[in-house]
Amino acid sequence: MATRRIVSQEKSLLEKDDRIGSSPAANEKSNITPAVPTAVIVKLLAFTFAMIILPIGSYFATVDTIFKGNSTFAGALAAVMANVVLIGYVIAAMKEDQSDQLEESAREKKKGL
Amino acid sequence: MASTMADSELTPKFAPFLGMAGIAAAMVFGSMGAAYGTAKSGIGIAGVGTFRPDLIMKCLIPVVMSGIIAVYALVVSVLIAQDLGPPSSGTNYSLFNGFMHLACGLSVGLTGLAAGYCIGIVGDKGVRSYMLQSRVFVGMVLILIFGEVLGLYGLIVALILNTKSKG
Repeated sequence: MATRRIVSQEKSLLEKDDRIGSSPAANEKSNITPAVPTAVIVKLLAFTFAMIILPIGSYFATVDTIFKGNSTFAGALAAVMANVVLIGYVIAAMKEDQSDQLEESAREKKKGL
Repeated sequence: MASTMADSELTPKFAPFLGMAGIAAAMVFGSMGAAYGTAKSGIGIAGVGTFRPDLIMKCLIPVVMSGIIAVYALVVSVLIAQDLGPPSSGTNYSLFNGFMHLACGLSVGLTGLAAGYCIGIVGDKGVRSYMLQSRVFVGMVLILIFGEVLGLYGLIVALILNTKSKG
């Protein structure tokens, strides 16, 4: 014969406390920080638009105004602008790497203290 | 046939075909190089990004350089297209201009193909090596610049050739 559960002493499901109950993480805040920080996305988008707009835009902006129809100089300027965007990207990438390293070293210093 | 286009030995009817072929060659071959460079180095970035996501920003450099190859092709295409006009506008498009524009387009297109191929291979292997050894970065960027300069030489030749049409 099976032993009988004493129903009157047991808490029902509704009375159970959620905090310690079925879901211990219910009270904590989950980590919803995006995997890629917003600053990086903004930077990448800026470089993308610069790469699309800057060279060809500078060509059409200068061909008739500054260079007076001499399309060779305007074309050369467009190529130069494309390379300026590239150099800017390389510098931005190097800076980001350095800032990452600085953050890491700062964190380690804090741990050491 | 009262034609507005003077059809002489110097300006035959098929001359614009060569100029158009130059525009198409610049854009098609340049984009082929840029696409190969982007895809091949993109594979490398996908491989690196799973292990070291913090390196993705620096590993994107070959992709940016491949984009520049396409910009070169675009610039030359626009340049050639500005010299072309329909026969109804009264412009006589000479055979010399046709061949010259074909040379412009082929020089920038095929050097772009070469540069994109180089950037793709160096970008793929370079970013994978950079993941393991950070000192590879300077060498990788230098090799990428030298590969990219190949496309720049083609652009310079095309720009110089293009000045000859105003003679």
